[in-house]
Amino acid sequence: MLIWFLPLFLLFLLIGFPVFFSLLAAPGILLWLNDQSRDAAMLYRNIYNGIDSFPLMAIPFFMLAGELMNRGGITLRLVEFSQALMGHFRGGLAHVNILSSILFAGLSGSAVADTSAIGSMLIPAMEKQGYSKRFAAAITAASSVIGPIIPPSGIMIIYAYVMGESVAALFLAGIVPGLLVGISLMVMVRLMADRYNFPPATTKSTWTYRGKASLKAFFPLMTPVIILGGILGGVFTPTEASAVAAAYAFFIGLFVLKSLEWRDVPKVFTKAAMVSSVVLLLVGAAMAFKTVVSLSHAPEHLAAFVLSLSDNPYILLFLINILLFVVGMFLDAGPAIIILGPILGPVFVDLGVHPVHFAIIMSVNLTVGLATPPMGLVLFVASSVSGERVESIAKAILPFLLVEVIVIFLITYFPALSMTIPLLTGFTK
Amino acid sequence: MLSLLFKYIERFNTVFLRVGRQLAWLAIFLMVVVILIQVFFRYILNNALPWPDEVARFLMLWMTGLIAPSAYRWGGFVSIDVISKLLPTHVGNILALALLFLSLTILLIGFNLGLQHIKMGWIFESASIKLPWQLIGGKQEAMKLAWMYMSIPVGVFFLISVTIELILRNLISLLKPDLSMIMDTDKEKLES
Repeated sequence: MLIWFLPLFLLFLLIGFPVFFSLLAAPGILLWLNDQSRDAAMLYRNIYNGIDSFPLMAIPFFMLAGELMNRGGITLRLVEFSQALMGHFRGGLAHVNILSSILFAGLSGSAVADTSAIGSMLIPAMEKQGYSKRFAAAITAASSVIGPIIPPSGIMIIYAYVMGESVAALFLAGIVPGLLVGISLMVMVRLMADRYNFPPATTKSTWTYRGKASLKAFFPLMTPVIILGGILGGVFTPTEASAVAAAYAFFIGLFVLKSLEWRDVPKVFTKAAMVSSVVLLLVGAAMAFKTVVSLSHAPEHLAAFVLSLSDNPYILLFLINILLFVVGMFLDAGPAIIILGPILGPVFVDLGVHPVHFAIIMSVNLTVGLATPPMGLVLFVASSVSGERVESIAKAILPFLLVEVIVIFLITYFPALSMTIPLLTGFTK
Repeated sequence: MLSLLFKYIERFNTVFLRVGRQLAWLAIFLMVVVILIQVFFRYILNNALPWPDEVARFLMLWMTGLIAPSAYRWGGFVSIDVISKLLPTHVGNILALALLFLSLTILLIGFNLGLQHIKMGWIFESASIKLPWQLIGGKQEAMKLAWMYMSIPVGVFFLISVTIELILRNLISLLKPDLSMIMDTDKEKLES
């Protein structure tokens, strides 16, 4: 009986019920029909306990750090730095866009923030240089998915918390896959550059100019050093690192770069609090949902079904990637991870896939889903930043999505790509 | 009648949610401060304090409760609207109304469960948060957990009042499509 919560849940989602309420309504109604209404109190307590968590606090802090950097003119410095390094290549600004996303990813854990920050600066600049608007918007959207793959990462914090993994291990495992996405996109741009005759952005920068640009970007570029260095060196937990990152962004925005104004401070904090509150409620609801998932024995049923398809993990991973990709087309990465993690994770871990490896497969796949039509969030953001229609960006992004799909499969079938760093540093076994 | 009720509840939400947002941004600000104190004492002074962990969680719960209703009111709760957009306007409105009533039911049940949870919270005391009454001549006292448990029901209470506003908004646009309805402008101010 209880197993019906899953179809019911999907139905709720499809008719437009908010994910938060769907997560509670589907199991709640079945508990009620099953005469287990007393368990509703357990659902409530699981929501509360789900939110009442120290590791989860990294979410509001990283959101805050991202908002502060966005306001603080930090993006501009990163873009100038990227331009000094890569502007002279053919397709220069497209490369600059990708490199900026990689650098931005080390400060922020959100693809949406990346698209709006880098897009509002580089899309007009690219257009001026003769790129089509839709190409500029497409490369911005495609490269922004690096944001949540390279640490810090909002969705990896959520995954680690919901599934009881180490945040540090997931962060470290994301570094190589994130760089790989960036480099592959650059290769694609290079291939397209000859065919479509992309212009170089600038003449080659002198080393003096490069030095100056690096100096200006020095403070922002120290953020990932503080976060990762702090976690790896055992100075902070990931939550503490996130608070330090927020304080650091606040400090350099106000006092060093002077690009943040006092009167903007309440706005920035309010926005970060608001976005985080939605995520925190979702995580709380997911923890309640997760208990019902295990009560209903859904993972066992699902495992039996999955194993009836094939018992070869390679084939199953292929199938799961397709499933995740389709889900990612319609649902945001955060909610998708919250819903699917507890259902799929145990099945694949039993099949012998390393939990951290599976977390990375899921995170990368669902993150790329942010840039896929019809419901890719960053496509919408890129569209509002550039003024180009979503449909035409969706078409222009296809070559880059192809590259990202290839990377997803590389990560899936070569675990060493993600696992080497966390294994070497001893953050996972 | 409907529009009068709507006017009152719209006003109520506008005023109280504004207060909630002010408190919430203060809460996230204090969270950062508290964690910095924790790092400073542990790493620099080698003296791990017992309270920052719990105080920060206290603040995060209240931040969530106080600001989530604003997010809900301004359409910040994630949902998939592909199908509802395909429906004719009228059918879409009725579906939305039905879903709002379902949300209201969930929230009312949640509020009731929350009250029971708070009741239990008067029995339990916080392990690390001590209220410093001794500073004003009283006796130091451990904080009751009910103060922490209250955060979510307070949030649910305002989610309920937002849901009622949304229901009325929907009903009015269904019954009197040409009546214009007020909406607070704080959201635009925040975006600018």
